[in-house]
Amino acid sequence: MMENSTPMVKITNVHKVFGRKLHVLCGINLEINKGETVVILGASGSGKSTLLRCINFLEEPTAGTIEVDGTVIHAGEDDKKRENHILDIRKKTGMCFQSFNLFPHMTALENIIEGPITVLGQTKKQAVLYAEELLDWVGLTDKRDEHPSRLSGGQQQRVAIARSLAMKPKVMLFDEPTSALDPELVGEVVDVMERLAREGMTIIAVTHEMHFARDVADRVLIMDGGNWIEEGTPEKIFNNPEEPRTRQFLAHIL
Amino acid sequence: MKPKTRQSVTDGIPPEAELILNQIETKKSNYKQKMIIAFAFLIVLMVVSLIVLGLDFKFMLKWLPFILAGSGYTFLVAFLAISLACILAVVGALGRLSTNPIFNSMATSYVSLIRGTPLLVQVYMWYLALPQIGKALEAYGIPGIQRLLTLPAVPAGILALGVCYGAYMTEIVRAGIQSIKIGQTEAAKALGMNATQTMKRVIFPQALRVIIPPVSNEFIAMVKDSSLVSLMGVWELSYRAIKVGRRHFQSLEMLIMVAFIYWIMCMILQFVQEKIERHMARGDRRIS
Repeated sequence: MMENSTPMVKITNVHKVFGRKLHVLCGINLEINKGETVVILGASGSGKSTLLRCINFLEEPTAGTIEVDGTVIHAGEDDKKRENHILDIRKKTGMCFQSFNLFPHMTALENIIEGPITVLGQTKKQAVLYAEELLDWVGLTDKRDEHPSRLSGGQQQRVAIARSLAMKPKVMLFDEPTSALDPELVGEVVDVMERLAREGMTIIAVTHEMHFARDVADRVLIMDGGNWIEEGTPEKIFNNPEEPRTRQFLAHIL
Repeated sequence: MKPKTRQSVTDGIPPEAELILNQIETKKSNYKQKMIIAFAFLIVLMVVSLIVLGLDFKFMLKWLPFILAGSGYTFLVAFLAISLACILAVVGALGRLSTNPIFNSMATSYVSLIRGTPLLVQVYMWYLALPQIGKALEAYGIPGIQRLLTLPAVPAGILALGVCYGAYMTEIVRAGIQSIKIGQTEAAKALGMNATQTMKRVIFPQALRVIIPPVSNEFIAMVKDSSLVSLMGVWELSYRAIKVGRRHFQSLEMLIMVAFIYWIMCMILQFVQEKIERHMARGDRRIS
């Protein structure tokens, strides 16, 4: 399944220290191939979200190297091109947040076309055409001209996914996309994520949605105390975990 | 009953609920009626007291055109000073939030200095003290600077008001920008926007909504403070009213009249504010 080409995302020895005391990430290594779906599990405070936010530099790694689709940035490197490299990585990665973070002063459609027009310099016509396609793909064509405040949580998150996809990203990062949702709305969002995975998107997801981890993910990684404690296929992790800490954690969430 | 039967809204409502709904409705309309009566009473009271005071309405009418002629200056000064203040406020707020030490310290000192000194002193500073600075500079060998810094009354007034209100509004704009949740910045960044695009497209449009009510306050205050240019001998609204009133010993009539003119101007501003606020509230959740 996985070819031996260069990985889409390569994280090498990444550390993140907040202040001088809080060591959240302790030398993380991770390689993710094109088209692979990876789910990161772990107790809260284990550093999952921080790692995800380090990939697109919403957090600056304190040490280590991040590489996304050939763009390499070393932590702490002071280079004139650095700012451009960060923007470059952000254009290649889409991110969905726990709290959606849609722009409340724009309609669903305006949210989706904002990135392509402002960042990629597309014409409005071009952007709208693709945005409508995406709205159809997430099943929200009829909500095209609604402001986010008139949408349910699940609908908002689907618009947020469409907004990220409008940038034609190479990698999608999901930061607990269903944690803020009412239980009956989780399904519609997971459904969209699943279709995205099946269509070959490279996905890194932090989620407690067990169906997604078990049935959609190619690989599951368990994090604790700022590093991996176990990784493997979903079958192995859920049926035959080696680490007692993994077993403990799974017992809590299953 | 299952919550599924939503389509027949009026069918399942029991008669006692009907009674309570009616009560709520009458309460609402009663309140509206009483408000109208209260306002009408206040207006009548005002008119009656004006008549009881024995105001010379003929005199007022006679001088009305002369006084109103001064409103041109009031409008001119207020409008230009407001424009200047808005520009200074946005630049100042970006400075206060900037990580550039020079830009930040300049903005912080500007706000501190201007807010810490009386407007009256500032007005005279622009009008009377600036030429002296020009003179000193000319002595250092900058030719023609004194004439450049000797400002006529109206430009001096506009600069004084604009710079002063710009400082107060800087803090309003800064607070407005900071009130927008960090998630908005993060979402914009995640899309690949740079700092300028994030501010222009995402943060500022949202901050504007928060900013408008307090900024309107400043506008209204400034319209009235524009009367300070009369200190420099500009024949604007209040200056004319006071002059005429004193000369004919009918200050009461003139002051009441000019107060009304200011009031009406500010009511128009308030009306515009409400319009803008309603327009900006489009994205809100409303029950309608």
